Amino acid sequence: MSLFLGISLGLLWGFLGHTLRQKTKLSLVAVSAWLTLLAAIVLPRVFKSGYLYALIGTAVSYVTMSSSHRLEKLWETLTVSCICALLVFFGQNVLVGIGGRLGTFAAVSVFIFTIPKAHKGLINPGRE
Amino acid sequence: MCRHALILLPLIVAALELLSPLFNHGGSLVCLTLIFVVFVIAPKRCGFRDWQRVLPSALISAAGALATFLLANYLNLGPLVASAVVGLAGTSFFKERHQLVLYLGAFVGMSSDARFPSLTLLIAAGLVGGVLWEVLNETWNGVGGRLGTVAATAVLVVLLTLGGGL
Repeated sequence: MSLFLGISLGLLWGFLGHTLRQKTKLSLVAVSAWLTLLAAIVLPRVFKSGYLYALIGTAVSYVTMSSSHRLEKLWETLTVSCICALLVFFGQNVLVGIGGRLGTFAAVSVFIFTIPKAHKGLINPGRE
Repeated sequence: MCRHALILLPLIVAALELLSPLFNHGGSLVCLTLIFVVFVIAPKRCGFRDWQRVLPSALISAAGALATFLLANYLNLGPLVASAVVGLAGTSFFKERHQLVLYLGAFVGMSSDARFPSLTLLIAAGLVGGVLWEVLNETWNGVGGRLGTVAATAVLVVLLTLGGGL
């Protein structure tokens, strides 16, 4: 249940981040910081495992800092958000207390999605 | 290549943590060797010359780290709120490039006080973060989470070299 909720909230934060990036003139840092603030203030008060969900929302806010060259469409951002939520959920005991841990999860999520995408032609050359 | 080797440090440490039953003390040794090789070889091999930008970035990053750490631990805001507050403050005072450096410092400052019992080490990590930001500037462009990865690298470099290990 908590994994499902974590993924759902990750998708919601990914959607919010993508929308803010597309529809507003906020800077990269402002979008991420507002999403982090929202996650950190709201989620722990609403849910029992709220702090974990806040971590997921924060990590996903870092995902949305990707350039449009890396993550162009909404579905791409949502896919990476889902991967990121899974990484944060299952990687809770990794790099504990190290600043930048969530950003590392976000970067790994982006690479999990973008590296196969960039090498699509190598895997299935007929479709390029 | 050496830039990629350095920025991958957090992932190597994470992998070693996951495989820790197999490597008891080998993990720290691997990381220290990597840091030594990269810091000795990288500046020469990568041809980095723009050292004038390093000092402002290092200072801004250290300021971000210190502000976030103090807000998180002394005002009990917690690391998430503290980093967001510092990031938002940066958007009011700095141009985009320096906003990113300040936010990088904020990520360094999200470290727990158990990892950084003294502020000196934290400031050192912030300074290293700013230096790494300039040295690794062209690496992983456009990848969300790059700032955090650089911050984690800086924290790990300081903890492994000056902080007595993880």
